[in-house]
Amino acid sequence: MPFKVFVFFFFYLLLQSPIWAAELSVKVVEPFADMRTGPASEYPVFHVVERGEQIEVLKQRTSWYKVRTATGQEGWISVDALAQTIGPNNEPVAIARSDFAQYQQRDFEFGLFYGQLEKTNAFSVTAAWVLTENIVTELSFTQALGDFSENRLWLARVQHFMFPEWRLSPYLSLGAGQVRTKPNATLVQSGSETRTSDVMEVGFGLRYYLLENFVARLEYKNLLALTDRDEQEELNEWKLGFSVFF
Amino acid sequence: METRIFSVFLILLGCLLPAFAQQVPPLVVEPEVDRRQINDADIDTEDFEVGLFYGQISIEDFSNSSVTGLTLAYHITENIFMEASYGQADAGLTSFEQLSGGAPFLTDDEREYRYYDLGIGYNFNGEVFVKEGWALNSDFYLMVGGGSTDFGGDNHFTLSLGGGYRLFLTDYLALRLDVRDHIFSSEIIGEKKDTHNIHYSLGASWFF
Repeated sequence: MPFKVFVFFFFYLLLQSPIWAAELSVKVVEPFADMRTGPASEYPVFHVVERGEQIEVLKQRTSWYKVRTATGQEGWISVDALAQTIGPNNEPVAIARSDFAQYQQRDFEFGLFYGQLEKTNAFSVTAAWVLTENIVTELSFTQALGDFSENRLWLARVQHFMFPEWRLSPYLSLGAGQVRTKPNATLVQSGSETRTSDVMEVGFGLRYYLLENFVARLEYKNLLALTDRDEQEELNEWKLGFSVFF
Repeated sequence: METRIFSVFLILLGCLLPAFAQQVPPLVVEPEVDRRQINDADIDTEDFEVGLFYGQISIEDFSNSSVTGLTLAYHITENIFMEASYGQADAGLTSFEQLSGGAPFLTDDEREYRYYDLGIGYNFNGEVFVKEGWALNSDFYLMVGGGSTDFGGDNHFTLSLGGGYRLFLTDYLALRLDVRDHIFSSEIIGEKKDTHNIHYSLGASWFF
């Protein structure tokens, strides 16, 4: 008899224990939730989870969640459907949705840009760390490939967002770094050689929050290369790009 | 006598006790449960995709070569993704070099074809019906990107256009077929021209 009581309590505790109580088990409280065969709205609905059914959340891809029903059916439900479920203590499920409010809380931002640096094609990758609502620090690497030379720029900059709460928001930037100019192979024969100079930049940009964690940015920059020669070199750059934030 | 006093005491007690009992605050058991917020941060996300590919590239004027490379993608929405890719191939001989048997145009180092590409893609999601009752998820995608190609001793700005097809074997494992045109302008064999370097490849990718 004590053994049976022990066994009963063991299983009772096991089921109650938060480790085993399926951590991400949620209950559908809306009349129904559509389950699709894949993580996109284009995939067909093959099952409907009814009100009161318990579902287990397995994984996430973009704004879709893979779930398993009590009967073992597996499929994908949308973030909207998951946001309307409740947890074991009847609390709503907190979903960190990527929206504009989330954007304002971001810590990091990574971007890809295409642009023109003095009429040559330029590509940039950037990584930014958000200090405050208004101030963002950013590192960038740019490769500009022209007919006569290849420029590589490393820059660190500070951006100031005057109106961070606007969806379309202007910003100013100040930066410093280095530029390495390598003449193309055909010009090497004519005596040109690779040179590195310090560079300073001042820029103006516009960013627009698009959707999810996706932002578009347009920038104009004026760069001043402090060359060894008698005159300094002034460069203009236009960039259009996208960035994602986390 | 003593019994009588005792019974009076009991009666008094009996009268007082309910009144006393009412003064005791009702016993409330506070459940010792952590009201854990269910949070989607606990859920495993699979928005990144890493892949390897192998295929053939036709390097304009320099015959065909095999190309190998890797890709890293980040899926922003169900349709939009960003992808970085790197590939390498070793260019062959031009027809002229083969026919004349003369001095080669490029050194072995210059013949190494290396590119990187940063692009954005759009998925058209769908399904493939293998047989009755068995369907695999798939998507067809179009991509546009840009980057740099290191060939013939120089880096060339490269525009990449193309598309591909992903066949999901499981949620996180996909087979990929890619076709890409890498366009860059080059003056390796004389006059400057836009070269089209078309590659197709087969690959596998892993979502994590």
